[in-house]
Amino acid sequence: MHPVISVQHLSKEYKNIHAVNDLSFTVNEGDVYGFLGQNGAGKSTTIRMLLTLVRPTAGKIELFGQNLFTHRNKVLRNIGAVIENPDVYQYLSACNNLKLFARMSGIHPTTNQLMEQLDMVGLKDRADDKVQTYSQGMRQRLGIAIALIHDPQLIILDEPTNGLDPQGIADIRNLILHLSRNKKKTLLISSHLLSEMEQVATRLLIIDKGKKLVEGNAETLFDPAQTVIELETLNNEAARIQLSNSQWQQALQPQRNDKILMKMHRDQIPELNVWLVQNDIRVVGLQSRHSLEDYFLQVTNGTQHVATFTN
Amino acid sequence: MEHNMWQLLQIELYKIFRRPRTYIAFGASAALIIILQFGLKVDGSEYASFMLQSIGNFDVQGKLLNGYLVCFIILQLMLVHVPLLVTLIAADMISGEASHGTLRMLLSKPISRTSVVMAKFYATCVYTFLLLVWVAILALLVSLLIFGKSDLFLMRSEYIVIIRKDDIFWRYICAFCFAYISLVTVAALGFFLSSLADNSIGPIVATMSIIILFTVLGTLNIPVYKAINPYLFTTHMVVWKDFFDEKVNVSNEAIAGTIENLPSIIHSLLVLTVYIIVLMGATVWVVRKKDILS
Repeated sequence: MHPVISVQHLSKEYKNIHAVNDLSFTVNEGDVYGFLGQNGAGKSTTIRMLLTLVRPTAGKIELFGQNLFTHRNKVLRNIGAVIENPDVYQYLSACNNLKLFARMSGIHPTTNQLMEQLDMVGLKDRADDKVQTYSQGMRQRLGIAIALIHDPQLIILDEPTNGLDPQGIADIRNLILHLSRNKKKTLLISSHLLSEMEQVATRLLIIDKGKKLVEGNAETLFDPAQTVIELETLNNEAARIQLSNSQWQQALQPQRNDKILMKMHRDQIPELNVWLVQNDIRVVGLQSRHSLEDYFLQVTNGTQHVATFTN
Repeated sequence: MEHNMWQLLQIELYKIFRRPRTYIAFGASAALIIILQFGLKVDGSEYASFMLQSIGNFDVQGKLLNGYLVCFIILQLMLVHVPLLVTLIAADMISGEASHGTLRMLLSKPISRTSVVMAKFYATCVYTFLLLVWVAILALLVSLLIFGKSDLFLMRSEYIVIIRKDDIFWRYICAFCFAYISLVTVAALGFFLSSLADNSIGPIVATMSIIILFTVLGTLNIPVYKAINPYLFTTHMVVWKDFFDEKVNVSNEAIAGTIENLPSIIHSLLVLTVYIIVLMGATVWVVRKKDILS
């Protein structure tokens, strides 16, 4: 695997505020790299530095094995990006926006190629309508079409599902999987929603306050043995005592709120359910989520923990 | 594939001329000129009599209110108007893209920031040229069609200038060329202020304010302000009128085909050119250094 993105000790400081603080990571060819963090964690600043929109205070960025700032134009020719909301020219149609940005990327697509691209993102029927008449979701899809029009090797999507309805989110997810599996593209996708990344990412990086918290393979990080159960019963006190005197004792976790927390393999959940019924514990709610999500929620709620995940 | 400036210029011109705002300037200029021409056509003789009153008993033969004089009157009145219309486009070229979020899309493409800024500036120069050609057609050619051609009678503060009708047209061509450099200076100022902001309104208002402030300073007869007058670009923008001053011979007769103070015109052109180079140099520097956060 060749590294497509190599970031070493990257920092960006704005008037004593560390937007990005000594961040290092590598994205390999073919990765769908999930870049996670709460709003203001430094994701967009990092992405802007990868696109030369923001100059780093310190650190080194290499893309396709070349220094970004000394080979800027050559490197950017192989990148397609959507940065936050894809703002395009409102007074132009989707087709004309696409044509204009294609020419800025150095290509002159035919009308058929433009239509194919718009068809891929479901905008063919509205190709000649001015963008000012588009919904947020349609603009997002047009932004992706613009990012892909010059067939780049690396695609960077900053919060691609922002403002989309569930169908729109599903469409973007399918498009990401299509680009990765069928077109063999490398993708870096930022998001503040772990559940979104869980479905598409092959590797993950979580940052907070500009610093790396966790990096690793999605398979390892989403290990089913690390499932967290959140249990709510009619009498949590009594249920906790019963659980602590049973085979589930090892699974019990320190109490964080008024619910009972347990950690176990996902396959054990049905067995727990049966045990609860057999022991006449009246369950009000039983929710499972991955421990990474649990950890991520804690981090994004402001409680910082030290990551214990491995690559 | 490498971008060349011609391609980028085409893209910028395409964006300028697809915006409805662009045509406001053409419409506003046309409206102003037509209103003036209509007024002078209807009540022009009264205006001419008023002009002659101040110089006492003066026998004028021929057509005083002709196309050349009407054009001169229009250009004097549009001295502030046209720069403001140029400002509307120039001061929006960078900051407008920043406020709409398209600047980050643009600057993440494989094009150098210098090329982007210069392509935008050249496109603004083309727009300014077309606007000036439009004004020239309406103010000069249409006025000549409506009011006819005759000698140009101009009243200056201390003397009267009469230029023969076959010696005027080239002076207007020179005056329009000079006005073009003046307007490009205004565009460069708008560009510089545009590079400092992330919204359009600020640079547009700031550019207009500077033009108005400098114009006012130029007219104040106070020694401290008179000292800075030669350095204000607005002082040099009005020098186009010098093309309508002829040299005189020892008998105090005008010499056709001459310009009274050509060195002063050349000096003003140089000052305006220096303004353009400095302002655009500063714009490129600011944009190259700028973090795009919009």
